[in-house]
Amino acid sequence: MDCDTARVLLHGHLDGELDLILDHEVDRHIEQCDRCIAEYAAIRALQTRLKDQSLYFEAPAELKEKTRRAIHRALPRAQASPSIRRSSVRRAVRFAIPMAVAAILALLIVPSAIRPGHNEIVAQEVLASHVRSMMASHLMDVASTDQHTVKPWFNGKLDFSPPVVDFAQDGFPLVGGRLDYIDGRAVAALVYQHGKHVINVFMWPAAPEAAHSAKIETQQGYNLEQIAVAGMNCWIVSDLNPTELAKFGELLRARG
Amino acid sequence: MPDETTAVDFERTFLPHMDAAYNLARWLVRNDHDAQDVVQDAYLRALRFAGGFRGDNPRAWILAIVRNAAFSWLKSNRGSDPPVLFDENVHEGHAEETGLEADALRKADATMIRAALEELAEEFREVIVMRDIEGLSYKEIADAAEVPIGTVMSRLARARTKLAQSVKNRIAKG
Repeated sequence: MDCDTARVLLHGHLDGELDLILDHEVDRHIEQCDRCIAEYAAIRALQTRLKDQSLYFEAPAELKEKTRRAIHRALPRAQASPSIRRSSVRRAVRFAIPMAVAAILALLIVPSAIRPGHNEIVAQEVLASHVRSMMASHLMDVASTDQHTVKPWFNGKLDFSPPVVDFAQDGFPLVGGRLDYIDGRAVAALVYQHGKHVINVFMWPAAPEAAHSAKIETQQGYNLEQIAVAGMNCWIVSDLNPTELAKFGELLRARG
Repeated sequence: MPDETTAVDFERTFLPHMDAAYNLARWLVRNDHDAQDVVQDAYLRALRFAGGFRGDNPRAWILAIVRNAAFSWLKSNRGSDPPVLFDENVHEGHAEETGLEADALRKADATMIRAALEELAEEFREVIVMRDIEGLSYKEIADAAEVPIGTVMSRLARARTKLAQSVKNRIAKG
């Protein structure tokens, strides 16, 4: 290696951006070249000085606040656009008060009468969350295939600890998790993959509702399944075909 | 995505990178007031184009927009001032003969380094800010500055050599 090449590559070397072979060649050149070793030391000294706190300009708090306000002005949350999630939220809100009244009446009179309606809304929310997560803005808060990383991540973020199991050996690797909001509460969302399909699993502690027949519904081309896992209410949603989704549901029920 | 982007989604993805955005803008336009304008402008532009973001690296994505906003600002506000170009004859002196000395650089105080970096041409200043101050990888810099990865290393090499030389000249002048 000649000096001209080494003088460029030593930067990649210092930055840990070279492959092993080049790294080694740079080392070998530097060891026997006084000028390059001096340059290497000088650049390293410069890099150290550049880490000085006073050279980093943090964003002023007023800028953060100002920008947040500008974003909200430019894009109000209730913007009228054909979003599944928002329409489902709006629908949920519109029905919230009548439903609360109905729920009280139902508890007194016909305990199971309103459940399908409630479940339907939850199903809509689950589906909307899945669709939204696929829009790539926010699939995962914690990206890890390691269940021992994902599970502790939820600590302190939820008032329960969801079962997190990796099913990589069965063809359904865990890829990450995030917080989501379903049925008026914070829930755990676990993200699995099967081939190119993404599976979202939403979990939260279940009120002991009527036993769910593990029936798969299809809505807007997505398949949804609701099951009970370790005392959790659990919704599985994906564009995966119903057979494979059922297989995944079985795994979750058996080992979750 | 624009239709489905809520302010909350957008904030959750991009607001955590506002320090990085401001730091880059601040180094490029070199004053607080204009850097704030540039960042705010960039965030509003980002909001419009959020549909083009595919979830890979929000920091590099927002920095690319901040960088473009900063360069448009520089272009329209430079007025009659000549662009800041590094005068190699003045600053580089006899670098080839004297070489760079690590000891001298270790002694350089932050004010001196800051002045030298502010004087560096923008294409060199930005790679040093992104790599040595912000800690971006070459890949992230390549994405943000929209140049090939190989260019990142050669530009960094030139930028650091110029900066080191400039700091050394300042030390020599006292």
